[in-house]
Amino acid sequence: MPKQEMIAMILAGGQGSRLGVLTEYIAKPAVPYGSKYRIIDFALSNCTNSGIETVGVLTQYSPLELNSYIGNGYSWDLDRNLGGLSILPPYQSMAGSDWYKGTANAIYQNIQFIDNHDPDYVLILSGDHIYKQDYRKMLRAHIKAEADATIAVREVPWDEASRFGIMNADEEGRITEFEEKPAEPKSNLASMGVYIFSWKTLRRHLIEDELDLDSSNDFGQNIIPAMLNEGLKLLAYTFSGYWKDVGTIFSLWESNMDLLDRPQEINLQDALWRIYCRNILQPSHYIGIDASIIDSVLTDGVEIYGTAKHSVISSGAVIEEGAEVIDSILMPGAVVKKGSKIDKCIVGIDTVIGENVQAGHSVQDGREDFISEKFCSDGITVFGSGLTIADNVKIAGNSMLFPNEEGQTSDVVLESTVLGII
Amino acid sequence: MLIDAMGIILADNSRVRLGELNDARAIAATPFGGRYRIIDFMLSSMVNSGIKHVGVLAETKYSSLMDHLGTGSHWDLDRLQQGLRIIPPYMQSEFFRSPNPQDITGLHDFLKHSVHTYVVVAESNIISNMSFTDFVADHKNSGVDVTVMYNHDSNRLGSPNISLSFEDNKVVDLMIDPTDPESDCSSLGIVVLERTLLMEMLDQAIARGETLFNTEFILEKYQELTIHGYENNDLTFRINSLATYFSASMRLLEKGVLQKIFKGENKIFTKVKNESPARYLKDNQVSNSLISDGCDIIGSVENSVVFRGVNVGRYSKISNCIILQDTVIMEGAELSNVIIDKDTVIRSGVRLQGSPDYPVVIGKGVIV
Repeated sequence: MPKQEMIAMILAGGQGSRLGVLTEYIAKPAVPYGSKYRIIDFALSNCTNSGIETVGVLTQYSPLELNSYIGNGYSWDLDRNLGGLSILPPYQSMAGSDWYKGTANAIYQNIQFIDNHDPDYVLILSGDHIYKQDYRKMLRAHIKAEADATIAVREVPWDEASRFGIMNADEEGRITEFEEKPAEPKSNLASMGVYIFSWKTLRRHLIEDELDLDSSNDFGQNIIPAMLNEGLKLLAYTFSGYWKDVGTIFSLWESNMDLLDRPQEINLQDALWRIYCRNILQPSHYIGIDASIIDSVLTDGVEIYGTAKHSVISSGAVIEEGAEVIDSILMPGAVVKKGSKIDKCIVGIDTVIGENVQAGHSVQDGREDFISEKFCSDGITVFGSGLTIADNVKIAGNSMLFPNEEGQTSDVVLESTVLGII
Repeated sequence: MLIDAMGIILADNSRVRLGELNDARAIAATPFGGRYRIIDFMLSSMVNSGIKHVGVLAETKYSSLMDHLGTGSHWDLDRLQQGLRIIPPYMQSEFFRSPNPQDITGLHDFLKHSVHTYVVVAESNIISNMSFTDFVADHKNSGVDVTVMYNHDSNRLGSPNISLSFEDNKVVDLMIDPTDPESDCSSLGIVVLERTLLMEMLDQAIARGETLFNTEFILEKYQELTIHGYENNDLTFRINSLATYFSASMRLLEKGVLQKIFKGENKIFTKVKNESPARYLKDNQVSNSLISDGCDIIGSVENSVVFRGVNVGRYSKISNCIILQDTVIMEGAELSNVIIDKDTVIRSGVRLQGSPDYPVVIGKGVIV
């Protein structure tokens, strides 16, 4: 294998447990986003657009959908003869076998994969952020500063800083201290979970970290503090474009709505920085005679006969006559039947909402037995994937609909099918 | 799916003219239905039938065709063995200075290197999602020389119409564009025969200096060969004139047509463009239309097919139109029964009006 200057490792193994039913069968990076994308499309497209041709995708939690979505990387131009995309699940070896214990351990278990490409630098990414970034610029800053590690940061509002991992840096951007969710933040530079490491240095630290049995094998909690302790040069690289961690129901909903309210910020129409995704083999979308579409985004295969207002509608979704979809997200194949009105809802893949259903934020006297304060906030209601919802039901805001724990259906959720793989 | 057949698609047909749409591109490469090119339908039908070795015979004007087909990967035809092959007009250097537009030795060569018993030869100007499985099986069982696919919609559709007369399902007469046809059976331009038989026919034609190859080349031999008919009942649109191109596009908007052609088990494949989703901004009014990714819609659109990356500006009105890729319709323009080719700009306040039988065509890349 010829030497690579930099390869990318995408951490895509997390469950994304705060998304509740949406990650019941699929890993968070494979969750649909923005009408035609999956969340991981952004990290993969950023790699391709940054000229990175060797990408390892580390999978662990419910990887089937994610694996078949990514395939051999063809859709992102990552089907290369040399390098290209590799899916890296945990594996058995002579030394035994283990799940990925933490972000750093996941990379540690793949040291051999990285060594095979003999890179000078390794880019570590999360597979669950929505942003467009040219990693080449970050690498240039890393090389120019002769840093051992460079961490992408963004300025967050001071009153939110205590929710993030905060980097305290000097005037030249050299990180002096890292604080995870500090009560009294000294800086407002939050880590984006995008790291460039000089491979030799990282390799040594991964091995040392693995030997420390008290370590939780995490980049933020262990590797970065250890590097700072050793006096290595860690650079904070400020990124100012759109960036969103879509880890909660609210942030996933909000980030989708950003495509409608602040489309310039992420600008999906930029021909010089395309976000690639897997092709869905559907015809152009059809708008019926009495349909009304206001301030929404739609993609191939959609059919609208009713109303879509301020919503994000994914491939193959259908809104029937007289149905209204407001401030909502329909994931691929979702159907909203005649006369239903949903407001501030996220409808999972292939879920069918029956006729004359009312659901969401503005519903009065709706059923409250599905309310889920653990996952839902701000009135957002979530329907899991593969559900059939009964006709004429009223469901209050902040609900999350899924079959109960034994997989039993109810008078609201009539049927539930495990999501088919793409 | 196992089928012992290869496919040949004829990218062009000198009898079919689609006005300015064909100035620079073959019939096969003409955009259709929002995100497709005409050849996608025949190519996908072959692939969905299990045909994995397809030659596309290009006559002239094949630049956009090659751009579209690429390595064949979008149709799963990028294969280690067989796969997709574009057969350009000149294969042998001795023919290079030939004034003939086409050289069928290339086709002969291509057939020679195949391993399949049968070859399905198809014109590309048919919009349908069909299967060749039963067609090839029927041909094999009947033991005849050639089987031709036909249907009964000839009277409604214009030229060229190859009218077939049968006796006991055997072709006994063939007429091109008859004014008073004896039969309502009309060739769909799709035939199946043994590969070795086609090679023999080509050998003879090459020896006589013939250079034209199409399905009539085979069908005209109905006196020396046994040619049977195979009736096709699928939903099928023939594209053989601008008017039929226009009407076929409009029929996609009819109830059930999208489902039949695109949403069944067998998909229609096409080249991927990675456009962003379409955006519908405030004040738009859209009804009974097909709209594609990458569009920004602010104006009003009805009964129309809009391709990828089109901007429909504020207060503009579009009805019964086909708007091809990356066209910009500026504020207040009004268009009805118009076909607008790629990369065109229609400026503010411009009004264009055609009729369904004679739609106005605006050529590629112009500013009106």
